[in-house]
Amino acid sequence: MLVLTRKIGELVRIGDDVTVRVLAVRNRQVSLGFVAPGAVKIYREEVLRMIESGNRRAQLGSPEHLSALAALWEEQGRGTQR
Amino acid sequence: MAPSVEVVAQARVVTPPAPRTVAIASQRFGEFAVPVDSIFALDPGLVGFPNEHRFVVLDSRPGSPFKWMLCIDEPELAFAVVDPVPFVPGYRPPLDKAVAALGCAAEDVALFVLVTIPARPTEIYANLLAPVAVDLVRRKGRQLVLEDPTLDPAHRIPLL
Repeated sequence: MLVLTRKIGELVRIGDDVTVRVLAVRNRQVSLGFVAPGAVKIYREEVLRMIESGNRRAQLGSPEHLSALAALWEEQGRGTQR
Repeated sequence: MAPSVEVVAQARVVTPPAPRTVAIASQRFGEFAVPVDSIFALDPGLVGFPNEHRFVVLDSRPGSPFKWMLCIDEPELAFAVVDPVPFVPGYRPPLDKAVAALGCAAEDVALFVLVTIPARPTEIYANLLAPVAVDLVRRKGRQLVLEDPTLDPAHRIPLL
């Protein structure tokens, strides 16, 4: 792992078109500012982890799970699509 | 001699070409012939599924809002999906985010969310934080990651 030490206001450049600036350090938190092209997606790691684990939980085990749900919904007269 | 009206009409009867289909054989979900033009590609794939790109959305039963999204590349992989609008009062589809991510017109976007179905489905959970947006014209889509703390990744939808 590359480790760089930066002061507040200093920049790190990643590749040709991504920069990261250290904006502030308060207590145990660091604020970072990112400048990157729109195609470069920047997310908090834990948000991606949460979505990944949600996607895994959402995997269908069998088609019956869904057809039972659809049948239940229909039985209640909550019916079909607009 | 000019052909009679009847002959001209007959000549115009063209059998429509059979739609091109892809055969899917899934041990879990059965066998399907999926029309090629109903397939869309997620690039990248769903978060956590970087190798599965091509999907199709199929009805669970006719007219039901619950559909399933089956993976063409990995036919044992499928998800339940719904359009969140009728299920979640006040839900506003993030069309601007979808348009920015896909580079298409808003009217070409289909937006749906993955739902988790517990073993006893008295309720289901919709992932409002990461909807799937698909450009229906170019058949390309992606799972949006909306960094919005008000959106629930497991929004409860009661069924009973």
